[in-house]
Amino acid sequence: MCKKNMEKSLDRSILKVSSLSKSFMNLQAVNDISFSLEKGDIFAFLGPNGAGKTTTLRILLDIIKADSGRIEWNLNGESNSLPPAGHIGYLPEERGLYLDIPVIRSLVYLASIRGMEPSAARIAAMQWLERLELADRSKEKLQALSKGNQQKIQFIASILHKPAFAILDEPFSGLDPLNQEKFIEYIKEINKQGTTILLSAHQMSLVEKIANKVFLINRGQEVYNGSLAGIYEAFGKKHIIDLLFKSPVTESIFNTLSGLESVNQVSDCQVQLTFGQQTDLNKVLAELSGFEGISNITSHKPDLHEIFLQLVKTHRK
Amino acid sequence: MNYFKQVITVTRWEFMRFFKPKNEALGIGIMLMVSVIFYFGGRYAFSESGEKPRLTVFRNLDSKLTERLSLDFELTKVPAEQKSSVISEIGKSKEGILLVKDSTTFTIHAYKYTRVQKKLRSILDEFNRTQAMQSIGISEADLAYILSPAVISESFIYTDNSKSRVILAYAFAALMIMAVFLSFAYQFTAITGEKQLKITEQIVSAISPQVWMDGKIFGITLTGLSSMFTYSMLGIIGGILFFQFTDVPASAILEYLYLPSILVYLPFALTGILIWNALLAAIASVITDPNNSGKSALMMLPLLFVLSSFLVVRDPDSGLSVFLSWFPLTSATSMPMRWAITEVAAWQIAGSFLILVATFYLLRKLAAKIFRVSILISGKEPSSSEIFKLSKES
Repeated sequence: MCKKNMEKSLDRSILKVSSLSKSFMNLQAVNDISFSLEKGDIFAFLGPNGAGKTTTLRILLDIIKADSGRIEWNLNGESNSLPPAGHIGYLPEERGLYLDIPVIRSLVYLASIRGMEPSAARIAAMQWLERLELADRSKEKLQALSKGNQQKIQFIASILHKPAFAILDEPFSGLDPLNQEKFIEYIKEINKQGTTILLSAHQMSLVEKIANKVFLINRGQEVYNGSLAGIYEAFGKKHIIDLLFKSPVTESIFNTLSGLESVNQVSDCQVQLTFGQQTDLNKVLAELSGFEGISNITSHKPDLHEIFLQLVKTHRK
Repeated sequence: MNYFKQVITVTRWEFMRFFKPKNEALGIGIMLMVSVIFYFGGRYAFSESGEKPRLTVFRNLDSKLTERLSLDFELTKVPAEQKSSVISEIGKSKEGILLVKDSTTFTIHAYKYTRVQKKLRSILDEFNRTQAMQSIGISEADLAYILSPAVISESFIYTDNSKSRVILAYAFAALMIMAVFLSFAYQFTAITGEKQLKITEQIVSAISPQVWMDGKIFGITLTGLSSMFTYSMLGIIGGILFFQFTDVPASAILEYLYLPSILVYLPFALTGILIWNALLAAIASVITDPNNSGKSALMMLPLLFVLSSFLVVRDPDSGLSVFLSWFPLTSATSMPMRWAITEVAAWQIAGSFLILVATFYLLRKLAAKIFRVSILISGKEPSSSEIFKLSKES
């Protein structure tokens, strides 16, 4: 029975990465990481700058070769170590499109090289441009568009051919909050239509709205690999209290508080206190009443951003 | 999507990126306009104004010379004593010439050099020659006979049109030089531009570096060929017009268009341009900053090889010419040039062509390999040894 379940689980896996490593000169960019994605996942691949995210994505796409490890793609019913280009969409971190060529021509070309018929690509491109309020600029050269609009075009280029698997490296970069929210909806929509998403982003508040799985990488190593719910389960049970004072305070005055794990001095007058999950908050609040000059006090569970910071800091130590 | 479909897609894209009929037509229009301006401007600049220039001579000047000069100049005769006043007048009016003869020497006094003095000099030379002939007793008719060229009738065993074939050979080399220049410009712009715009990562996630490299090589080669075709047609039209002006029948152009030579040239030229595009693409792909790269000069390397083909015209049967017509970096131009002007065995042409094709096949592989390892390198340019090392690792 157990065996049958395992086989079923393996069947659903459309990307399986095992013990992947890559180094450049003396830098170990990726160090023995493993993860897998199942059909329908929105997999958040997170990590600080230089953690090894982009290197991993480039290896997955066969742009660079790994030193060791195994990659198994299973998108078109066949197991393959190389990505089937026609089934993959890629939004690179370093943006790049032909600036001196009309938007529509670039989009049709990029879809064509991934196997889409030019006529179908043109129709689909115009539909997406319409949705992103850029239809009237389809014949303009890309250089005439703002950075945010260029990002929209880049996004369209990565999903126009309706890929089974889309790698989106920093898709929210350069977008205003309104468009960031719109992108969230677009990503959810293409995911519902059958595209599995591997997402790398720094905007944790946006990531936690859409991802169902999280992989946290730091210095090339796995820090967390599991479901989004799991990361809250494992690291999100602590208590965070934000305090705002009328006059500057120092960190050391909080050392006497019971259950205190860490103090984050946000500004001269603002601190963020983290307490263990067993801490009695009533007791803490009673102790805080002895502090003078508190103008505001709020308490919450750590969000993904705070968990991310905490895990990265802990891993560095 | 199979290899060929992908290569055709990329080829079409690269061709359409650089083939701009409007710009080509504009370029040709400007070229024609400049030619017309030069032609008519030149004719105007060197035309006679209609008025005879003023020339002052002393009354004691030889009567025959005076008579000859009066045909081309408005002559004023003055006594020798007025020399300084005439020179002073020339200085004030900034025009006119004073010709003074002292025994055997002519002295020309003028405000500045003009074309009039050139004309005066030729009249004086002619006069001097006539005087010299008379002094040794030779008549003008006798001298013309002595200086007349030999009457020569040329008969060539290989072809009666040897001279026009040499012209054709030069045209082959000129067209190849143009194709190399265009390939240089387009490959350089295409690859370094894409690297700078960070397009490469997007593209190689969809197609293999080999497909992209092949598409680029074929697309830009097509652009080069289209320009070669345009300028060949212009050359033919120009030749016909030239013959019209020189009273030669327009059909004389056919003497220069030897079809078998052209048919041999076409596949050689095509493969040659493909080779140069592969090499140029490989060089361009390691350049990270086109403005400050030491490797940019390497892009001119192909020109050196194409120019060396001109040596074939000097002696198409020499050992050097035979080598150039076999060596794959020069044979694309040298073999058709050789065959245009001398006899070359069919097996030599076939052998040279096979080597050329094999070289292209290997070079495109090498170019893709270099492209693959250089594609994501930015900042410091990789050295040759680094590229070699990375190529082995990839």
